[in-house]
Amino acid sequence: MTIKNKAYITNTALICCSGDNEEQLFHNICTQNSFIKNDSNYFNNTPAAIGKISSEKSFFDNLLLKCEEVLLHSNLTTFEDTLLVVGSSVGGIAITEEIYLKYGDYKKVDPNYHNIQTIQTILEKKFKFLDGISFSTACTSSANALGYAHEVITKGIYKNVLVLGVDQLSQTTVGGFLSLGVLSSEPCKPFDTSRDGMNVSEAIACLLVQTEPNENSIEICGVGYSSDAYHMTHPHPDGLGAKSAMEKAILKAKITTENINYINAHGTGTSANDSAEAKAIESLFGNITYVTSTKSITGHTLGAAGALEAIICKLIINNQTIPTSTNLNDAENKNINLSTQNISKEINYVVSNSFAFGGNNCSLVFGKVK
Amino acid sequence: MTINLEILDTAFIYEQDEIVELKTKELVPKMVTRRRLTRAAKIAIYLANAVDFKIGRIVYGSSFGEIPATASILKSIKCNDHISPTDFQNSVYNTAASYLSMLYGNQSEIMTVSSGDNTAQNSLKMGAIKALDGDEILIIATETLNIPNINEVNNCIDYLESGVALKIKVTQMSPNIDINKDNNSIKIPNSLYELFAIAKKFDKTKQNIVEIKI
Repeated sequence: MTIKNKAYITNTALICCSGDNEEQLFHNICTQNSFIKNDSNYFNNTPAAIGKISSEKSFFDNLLLKCEEVLLHSNLTTFEDTLLVVGSSVGGIAITEEIYLKYGDYKKVDPNYHNIQTIQTILEKKFKFLDGISFSTACTSSANALGYAHEVITKGIYKNVLVLGVDQLSQTTVGGFLSLGVLSSEPCKPFDTSRDGMNVSEAIACLLVQTEPNENSIEICGVGYSSDAYHMTHPHPDGLGAKSAMEKAILKAKITTENINYINAHGTGTSANDSAEAKAIESLFGNITYVTSTKSITGHTLGAAGALEAIICKLIINNQTIPTSTNLNDAENKNINLSTQNISKEINYVVSNSFAFGGNNCSLVFGKVK
Repeated sequence: MTINLEILDTAFIYEQDEIVELKTKELVPKMVTRRRLTRAAKIAIYLANAVDFKIGRIVYGSSFGEIPATASILKSIKCNDHISPTDFQNSVYNTAASYLSMLYGNQSEIMTVSSGDNTAQNSLKMGAIKALDGDEILIIATETLNIPNINEVNNCIDYLESGVALKIKVTQMSPNIDINKDNNSIKIPNSLYELFAIAKKFDKTKQNIVEIKI
C-alpha cells in the first residue's frame, strides 16, 4: 500500500524508577546511575530487585499528569482529533489485587478497573479522544502500539496518535516472574556472562505521533513483527523470531543493516533472552553496530518497555550519543559490539527490540528527521 | 473513512458454563502441549480450525484475557502460596493466540486487542486497516469467565465461555450485512458483540460484505 504520510514522534513524557523526565533519564543512563532496588514488599517477603517509581502521586495520577504534559508541549489544544493507542500487559490488575486481598472475594471488583481498558477508562475521565484502542501482548504491548501508530499514520487514516506504554508493579507480575526463577536480586546485567535474571519495573511512557515533525522529532521509519511459534516463555534459541522482526523493520524502513548505527536491545538480563537476541544481532549485524540494553537502569517495564525505550532512542538520536552498557563486565557473546562507554557519533538510524511471552516480537526502526 | 471487508468464513461457539466439544484431542495431538492449553486457547484452536486458517496474520481480541489463570494467581497470593509458573505464563492476554501460532508454526504478525466492551469493534477496525495490505486475516475473539464465584462480579453475561472467528479480506463490493440491526438476543459478553453479529448473519451461499467505519 502507498505510504501517504510519514510518522514522527513529536512530544514525549515519561516516568520510571530512573527519572520523571527525558533529561534525568538520559543522564542516569549515561552515568550508570541505577535506581533499581531490593524490595521484599511485593511477594511473600521474598527479596527481588525491582524498579519502583518514586513519587508522592499515585500511579494513575501520574498517568494523567504525563498525558497533560504531552498535550501542553504539543501543537494541539485537545486530544479530540487524536487516536489513543494504549499498550499494557496488566492494565488494572494492581487495583483488583488490592480489593481481592482486602476482602477475599470479587464482590467489590469493578470489571472496568480490572482489565487493560482500565487505562483508557481513567484517561477518558479527563480527556476526550477521537477513538481509542488497547494492545496487550505482554512485553511487546507498547512496541506494538507504536507500530500501530506508524501504520495508521502512514496509511493516512489518522493524523495524531497518542501512544501510551503503561504498566504498574503488582504482586502478580513480581510473584509470577519469581515463580519462573528469572528475577535477579540486584540490578540486571544484560549480555554479561554472570547475568542472573531481570528486574521487574513500572513506567508510564507517552508519545505523540504526528504527520509533521518539529525540531525535536524523530521518525518512526519501519516496524517489523514476527512470532517465534516456538515456546510460551522461551525464545527460539537461535533468535530466529527476533532476527525476522529486525529484518522486516529494516526492510520496511527501506534501508539496510549497514545504515543502522545503534540497537537498543530487549536485553532483559535473563539467560535465554540475551543469548538468543545476541545470536540474532550477530547474524544480522556482526560486530559492527553498537548495542546496549538500558534495562540495567530502567528495569524491565514489561508492557511499557517498547514506548519507554522509544523515548530513549529519541534521546540517543537527538543527543547523537550511544550510551554505555551498565553492569557489563564480561560479554557472553563477543561477536556483537556492546558499547562500553558513551560514544558521540553520527546516528541516523537505530533499532529498538521488544520481545514477549508467546514468542511475540516487534522491532522498530527510528531515524533522524531529514 | 470506511473499509469494506469480505467475510470469507466464520465460526462461533458459546456455552453457559463450559464448552464441552472443542475437539482438542484431535486438533492438538501432543499431550504435553494439550495439557498446558488454557480454555481460551482451546476455543481459539477450535475456531481457527473451523474456518481453516493456519498461517497468516491474526488479530485476537479479549476484554478480560485469561481470567481462570488470573484468578488462580490471585488465590495463590491470598493464600501465601507460590504462583504456578504455568498459571503465570498462561495469564498474559496473548496466550490463546500464541498457542495457536505454536500449534501451526505460524510466524506471522499476531496482535492482541483488549478494549473492554469495544474489543470486537476495535478488532474489526484493526483487522480492516491491516487487510488494506491485501492479505487474508483471521479475526478471532474469546472470553472465558467460568471461574468459581464469578457470580460475585458477573450479573449480565449468561454465556461464560464464548468465541468467534472471522476470516476476512478487503473488497470494493458494496456491504450487504448490517452489524447494527442485530439484536443481541443471547447474553454473550459485549466485547464479542459485533463479531458475533457478523458471524450469525454469514451466509455461505453468497458473498458476505460488511462495511467497517474507522
